[in-house]
Amino acid sequence: MKAFSNVHPAVCMTYFLSVLLVSMFVPHPVLQAEVLFGGALFCALLGGRRASFRDLGFYVPLFLMVAVTNPLFSHNGVTPLFFLNGNPVTLEAILCGISIAVTVIGVLLWCKCYSFIMTSDKFLYLFGKPIPKLSLVLSMALRFIPVYIRQSRRVSRAQKAMGLYSGKSIVDRVKNRMRVLTAMISWSLENAMETSASMKARGYGGKKRTSFFPFRFRTSDGVLLAGTIVLLAVTLAGAAAGVTDFNFYPRVGVIGNSSAAVAVYAAFGALCLLPSALEVKEAVTWNYFVSRI
Amino acid sequence: MLLIGGGKNMKKLISRAIFWILIPAVVLCGALIFPAKQYAFITLCVTALSCVPFFLRFERGEADTKRLVLIAVMTALSVLGRILFTPIPGFKPVTAMAVITAMYFGAEAGFMTGALSAVISNFYFGQGPWTPFQMLSWGLLGLFAGLLSEKLKRSRVLLSVYAVISGALYSVVMDVWTVLWADGAFNASRYAALLLSALPFTAIYAVSNVVFLLIFAKPIGKTLDRLKTKYGI
Repeated sequence: MKAFSNVHPAVCMTYFLSVLLVSMFVPHPVLQAEVLFGGALFCALLGGRRASFRDLGFYVPLFLMVAVTNPLFSHNGVTPLFFLNGNPVTLEAILCGISIAVTVIGVLLWCKCYSFIMTSDKFLYLFGKPIPKLSLVLSMALRFIPVYIRQSRRVSRAQKAMGLYSGKSIVDRVKNRMRVLTAMISWSLENAMETSASMKARGYGGKKRTSFFPFRFRTSDGVLLAGTIVLLAVTLAGAAAGVTDFNFYPRVGVIGNSSAAVAVYAAFGALCLLPSALEVKEAVTWNYFVSRI
Repeated sequence: MLLIGGGKNMKKLISRAIFWILIPAVVLCGALIFPAKQYAFITLCVTALSCVPFFLRFERGEADTKRLVLIAVMTALSVLGRILFTPIPGFKPVTAMAVITAMYFGAEAGFMTGALSAVISNFYFGQGPWTPFQMLSWGLLGLFAGLLSEKLKRSRVLLSVYAVISGALYSVVMDVWTVLWADGAFNASRYAALLLSALPFTAIYAVSNVVFLLIFAKPIGKTLDRLKTKYGI
């Protein structure tokens, strides 16, 4: 269990939305570097060392592809490095490409952390109250999927036993899966009618339904929420005031170092490192107590 | 999101508020706070917000357990299909399932199946800025199929044409946003490059839609029709 998984879902959601909002829509080199660093650190803490190395094989080529191809789409800028097919490849376009690549990868990393932390039960807890019918459909569908996966394995094994092996070719594989899916469809639809009859028999739709969720809003959640909101507000105020405006064209801009700019960098940097700090603190506490026993 | 409990009037009020307050607010925020990426910000937010009225309308409707369970089953089946076919990239039955649901149970059920499949399958495949776009495009594909249901049931040619168009639609829509996000404005050459590099996937989407619809529309339709008469949906 990770420390950030124990945080209240509403706080988690607010946190991830805040980070993603700024990282997607405020293109400033310092903030982007903070997004990438914070995201990579948090991802590594959540996923472990081996998974992080595996991911590098995906992110590094993606980074190069986005960064290197940008000059093909953009010939703005005043510092041509060389000419390609008669079009100038400018320093500005390359730097802008790197900035885009950093943002894309930063956002992907944070989305990965989001998927790790915000599991479907937390999602249902957050959105279940205002939309009871929809959340019932959602939770039923989520429940059906593992059941169906199990059943489709059974169907597939039965078909294999009947001699319906699938070869390596794509057509063969598609055919095999199609057979399984067809069998699943009639089975699941018949089953569904029984479910709905049973729901009706137990009085669905009569009264308001209650549900159980093991989430409690603790004081620490309140502190975390307040911290997130304050840090986000500082960053957004800076963005609205134009502190984080940064241009690559026609000439690469200067990274501001006024006190307002530094405050925004610090606030957003703190926001990005918040969950990693929490994980580290948890790990330290854990090891401290383990060594005492 | 912000509403807790609330009666039918409350939900109607919120549906209206989305159009008259939230969308203008998003546009204003985009222009004021995120000038460099305002178009991407506005597009993403408006896409997400435009799903909400459909969901609220579904909430307001009658609670018929059979319909609810059916939508859940069709959603689960389309997610299962996406999982079963993971070894073949881009080969997804989600659109087909939304279209079939819409053909037999109406436009609203089609929208719900498409949109919910997007949310749920992304619990398995990873959420991201693409989720709202998937929700809206799969949902709308279901919705339109529901409006055309009689014609789609009669003609397999029309069904195939619909399948091909819907396969292309998703890349076309999503790449507009990618360009707006990367460049801050619409950059035609990047858009063309993205469409071109996505072409193999777009082709697989289109082919898989045709394959799934042609293979499954009849048998699932038969089962659904039988359920309709047997259980009186």
